[in-house]
Amino acid sequence: MATDEDLMRAVAAGNGDALERLCHRYERPLYQFLVRHIGDSDAEDLHQETWLRVVRHAPRFDPNRRFSTWLFQIAVNLCRDWHRRPPPMPIDPEIADRAERDTSEAASATIDLERLLRALPEPQRAVVLLRLYHDFSEEDAAEILNCARGTVKSRLHYALERLARTVKTEDTHSQ
Amino acid sequence: MTHDADRACTALRLATLRGGVLDARATEHLAGCRRCAHEHEGLHALGGRLRMLAPEPPTSLMRRTLDTAAPALAINAGHVAWRPLVRAIGAALLPLPAIVITSAYALRALYGLLATVLPETLSLYLVLNYAGLLALCAALTYGAVPLLAARQARLTHEVAHG
Ligand SMILES: [Zn+2]
Ligand SMILES: [Zn+2]
Repeated sequence: MATDEDLMRAVAAGNGDALERLCHRYERPLYQFLVRHIGDSDAEDLHQETWLRVVRHAPRFDPNRRFSTWLFQIAVNLCRDWHRRPPPMPIDPEIADRAERDTSEAASATIDLERLLRALPEPQRAVVLLRLYHDFSEEDAAEILNCARGTVKSRLHYALERLARTVKTEDTHSQ
Repeated sequence: MTHDADRACTALRLATLRGGVLDARATEHLAGCRRCAHEHEGLHALGGRLRMLAPEPPTSLMRRTLDTAAPALAINAGHVAWRPLVRAIGAALLPLPAIVITSAYALRALYGLLATVLPETLSLYLVLNYAGLLALCAALTYGAVPLLAARQARLTHEVAHG
């Protein structure tokens, strides 16, 4: 089986099959990372933008690097830019419409979780998502986030402390 | 709270949220840490809920993503196709100065040789004729380089892309 890095060499040469295979391997984890990080309204756009950058930068991709960390590095950078964007118009009729339709219990539970994750500062949230949902080590996370390993550790510590606090609050509410 | 203890708590929290069986170290820490024991149930439940936050990508996303990337992919392919062409022309031009200088010397020597046995005008006429022929040959050769290289690039491209 061709490695990710082999496929990247082919993408650098303009091979569409190689791109499709790579995309097939990473579509799901990447899309889920984006939804958990920035919400589903813009996740599709950022998914496409991430792959566009993959193709554009493919000729300069260092084959000694691991593709998966490089891919998520691109995605994380796009998410950072996304966070710096001004917020959208306050009343988007389409979003209001969807919120009205999503009143089922499952949907509101999902919204609660998304709100819980969204309450974490962006750098902490990125670390939690990479360490919790994806098979990235502390070193991988440091490479993806372009920071020191110690920073990854402390961000994870504060983020989990925060999550644990919300759990305790929920405990006292239910008692 | 010492940093070592903090680290052990963080490791246990992460393992609890991830779900599955805790390893020996985590189990030992859980038994000995009151803070972790207190929050464990809640974190375990939260982990289960977080794992359910796994939205499937829309079925059309792959197609749209590949469509968006297609122009950039074509540019990559174009660069690859042009690289051998540029290289071939560069390689062909490299010896050109040497060829021109050698030819000039050869023509001058030829003229000197002819002038000893033939009238000067006739020698000049013959040498100029010969020079024209050489120039034509060179022009044809160099004109063919880009065409041959482009053909080769197209063949390589077809082989690579099936
Ligand atoms: Zn602490
Ligand atoms: Zn503990």
